[in-house]
Amino acid sequence: MAFSATLSTEEDTAKITLSGELDAASAPAFRSEIEKAAQSQPKRLVLFLQDLEFMASAGLRVLIFAKQKMGADVELYAVAPQEGIRETLVKTGFDKSLIIVDNYAE
Amino acid sequence: MESLKVPGSLDSLGDITRYIKNAAQSAHLDERSTYRLRLAVDEIATNVIIHGYEEAGLEGYIELHTELTPEALTIHMDDTGVTYDPAQSLARSELFLSKEIDQRPIGGLGVFLAIQSVDRFSYCRHGGHNRNSFVVYRHSST
Repeated sequence: MAFSATLSTEEDTAKITLSGELDAASAPAFRSEIEKAAQSQPKRLVLFLQDLEFMASAGLRVLIFAKQKMGADVELYAVAPQEGIRETLVKTGFDKSLIIVDNYAE
Repeated sequence: MESLKVPGSLDSLGDITRYIKNAAQSAHLDERSTYRLRLAVDEIATNVIIHGYEEAGLEGYIELHTELTPEALTIHMDDTGVTYDPAQSLARSELFLSKEIDQRPIGGLGVFLAIQSVDRFSYCRHGGHNRNSFVVYRHSST
């Protein structure tokens, strides 16, 4: 399934909804949404992952980029990652740097 | 099963994925093992394309071959890019897994994931070819 990343920004929170397959070929599209999101200097970045079916390490590198771009203090949420993606986040220790939740209250 | 030969470019990742999903289906792998095999092959193919071909200014192909036995599914991935031993890259990536993500050097993660995601992984260089092999035991799924 084709990758898509949709950004919305409210006050100090940037939200990006990801769907499809995030690999090295589609990662630049995600990275460019992160760059747009960083312009509003959000304190919190919420990634909605429910419809993301696959994520390779290219996606992890964009998460590193997000932290570097937005500052180490930005709160990074990963909402409802599918099993394989959750396993990748835990195995690589990314679960220590982002907050994994099943639901995100508005 | 038939082999697959695709150009060594990122545009080929979709074809590689379809090939792997078919192979996994033929081997009756469950969803989790299929995801993990696909991740492993995707990561190494990406490394071959970026480091083995593009950064080296080379062009070439990636070929995938499947071996299916009652015990295991094996995917062999051949390329003619520069010599690249994933295990050497892994040794570096393990050093920074404990660090906060924004303090990590970029790269190395893909190989770590690939090697962790299959039951057996091996690399060899033979006659101008790199061969990366991925083995998944068919009854190891728990």
